[in-house]
Amino acid sequence: MAKVQDAPIRVGFIGNPNCGKTTLFNAITGAKLKVANWPGVTVEKVEGSTVYHDQEMKLIDLPGIYSLTSYTMEEIVSRNCILSDEVDVVVNVVDASCMERNLYLTMQLVELGKPIVVALNMMDVVEERGMEIDLHRLPEMLGDVPVVPVSARKRTGLDTLMHAVVHHFREREEQRENVISYSDDIEQQIAEMETALTAEHPDWGRTRWYAIKLLEHDGEVLKQVSPSIAGLATESLEKEIIQEKYAYIEEVIQDTLLNREEKAMRTERIDRWLTHRIWGLPIFLGIMLLVFALTFLVGDFLKGYFEQAVEALSGWVTDGLLYIHAADWIISLVADGIIAGVGGILTFLPNIFILFLALAVLEDSGYMARVAYVMDGIMSRLGMSGKAFLPMILGFGCSVPAIMATRALEREKDRRKLMMVIPFMSCSARVPVYVLFAGIFFGRYAFLVSFSMYVLGLAIAILVAKIVTVIQKSSDNTPLLIELPEYKSPNARTIAIYVWEKIKDYLTKAGTVIFVASIILWFILNFGISGKVDDVSLSFGSMIGKWLVPVMAPAGLGMWQVVVALISGLSAKEVVVSSFAVLYGVSNINSDAGMTQLSQMLAAQNFGMLNAYCLMLFVLLYTPCIATIATIRSESHSWKFTGKVLLLQLLIAWLAATIVFQIGSLF
Amino acid sequence: MTLREGKINRTYIVEDVTLEDKLMVRLQALGMIPGTQVEIINQKSNDSLMIKVRGTRFAIGRQIADGVNVQEMR
Repeated sequence: MAKVQDAPIRVGFIGNPNCGKTTLFNAITGAKLKVANWPGVTVEKVEGSTVYHDQEMKLIDLPGIYSLTSYTMEEIVSRNCILSDEVDVVVNVVDASCMERNLYLTMQLVELGKPIVVALNMMDVVEERGMEIDLHRLPEMLGDVPVVPVSARKRTGLDTLMHAVVHHFREREEQRENVISYSDDIEQQIAEMETALTAEHPDWGRTRWYAIKLLEHDGEVLKQVSPSIAGLATESLEKEIIQEKYAYIEEVIQDTLLNREEKAMRTERIDRWLTHRIWGLPIFLGIMLLVFALTFLVGDFLKGYFEQAVEALSGWVTDGLLYIHAADWIISLVADGIIAGVGGILTFLPNIFILFLALAVLEDSGYMARVAYVMDGIMSRLGMSGKAFLPMILGFGCSVPAIMATRALEREKDRRKLMMVIPFMSCSARVPVYVLFAGIFFGRYAFLVSFSMYVLGLAIAILVAKIVTVIQKSSDNTPLLIELPEYKSPNARTIAIYVWEKIKDYLTKAGTVIFVASIILWFILNFGISGKVDDVSLSFGSMIGKWLVPVMAPAGLGMWQVVVALISGLSAKEVVVSSFAVLYGVSNINSDAGMTQLSQMLAAQNFGMLNAYCLMLFVLLYTPCIATIATIRSESHSWKFTGKVLLLQLLIAWLAATIVFQIGSLF
Repeated sequence: MTLREGKINRTYIVEDVTLEDKLMVRLQALGMIPGTQVEIINQKSNDSLMIKVRGTRFAIGRQIADGVNVQEMR
């Protein structure tokens, strides 16, 4: 086959979960994909590109997998991608500090016969532990695969790796497929299978790999061959083949890994406490309490500076508009609509920043996977494994990635159950609502009241999951099986990327969804059937709101402004706050003056402490934002399911707020 | 004995794994096959346990621990 001079080389990155694939991918492509120290972060393939010495390259980051079987979604995605023509060269990222397990995937890749380059990652960790790897012997034993030591975190060895990839591609060396010789019996069966395959599908190539997969009774491959060939594989030899692979890997380790004494005692010492049989759970709850305390208390401390900035900006813009003699309605739109709405939201940035910073540190430290272990007992009573708790914690940040993370679960039933309850986990968009209303109505107890929202959200999520489990009678849960990575001190670069991406999302949201929502809201408040209205009670907004007031009254939310704010909150939950600012015409809603102004206006409507609590509760539980709805739809592939989830959430929110309001009103 | 009956800080040798096919193959892919050494690092009274296999730590549910037959290493 002639080489097209300028065609980019397509390189697939594959490796075990948590081996540093994505970090390496980011380092090479300059991408800013999310990295975290727990398995299963990359749930779909991601593409990037780079240029090495005038050679263009297209890089594909694949989900981490332990083997090339076809038992999980990630395995099928990764395997099909490598098998197809989408990939010219495979870069197999191997965590040198757990080489024994990582090489299992390598041995399978070698059998595949595609050009591969092994990137031996985490060499720094290996050296730290005083271990040595024989870099001459290792490639020999892997069938002359190039092995390049790299450190993705320290960004060393990247050039050599790219050089090896380009060289390997240009030489078009086919990989030797029979690096491992199995026992005579298996080899004989492989040979027979290969003969049959060559006769039946002469154009397939890599017959040895197909033969081995058929002998392993691989579901996907069995589907592709004719019944006569499938019939040749009478009994599955999967177990024997795995054992012989590991036996070979043990030989490799014997020959290439020197000073094997493990010094990884630090992780074990930390785990004695963090995953203690009794203290594990209280410690986890304590850590979450700390995260939210930082979010609210330190965030509030910082927000003063932001308020001053917004105040100043608001002043300048209004002065400027007056100076150029802009029409009154334009000044009103900018000052009462855009600045009140968008500006108000920006002042919550410190809280959001600290929340994501804390979550990033937790994710990068390696603690996340332990939470799966700590929570396994509780989760198994809900008919799920502890692993299902990870997406729920992510939900404290944002529901969208949390719902996508449910892909790590195997059963569709479990995924749907999680999608149903993840929106109850209090995401960062609810933070402004809590900061504002708890701040106005609960004074020094504001933090406790906010924290109660997190606890209630979690409790309701667990309760709903339990009820669904009982209804579905699906208690045959998949048992927990998750790798626990080493603890490490958080990496500044990883955390900076993570937090910056979240802040950028927040700013983008302020500039798009919240911006548009504020303008629309301004319009429906300033226009009515008769055109521009001065009396807000004649506006469209008031008409819509009043129509729903009777429904919301039992929940203590029977004011048309509140109803309108809640409806606009469907675009994004921060919009509830920006809507309050626009509805009540408060310019700097998060400042002391703004809060006083709002509380006086609310008090005039008999909206007190209890109403505020019901509002927070309703915002916590009701239908999530459009982005989340769209994600639930695309992940479940079902409008019917999505619709049911939305109705359920609306109902639960209304019931919870009504119960609290009715009981609270008795006192 | 099964791995579930094992004690913390002791090392065991896997004799065989009897679990539902899919799960068994996943464990095998992680290197949990007859002859493999497994160290119990942490244990909860009646739930999951934390083990070390071929240099990697895993948390496993009790259903898995029930299906792994082991022998204590001397």
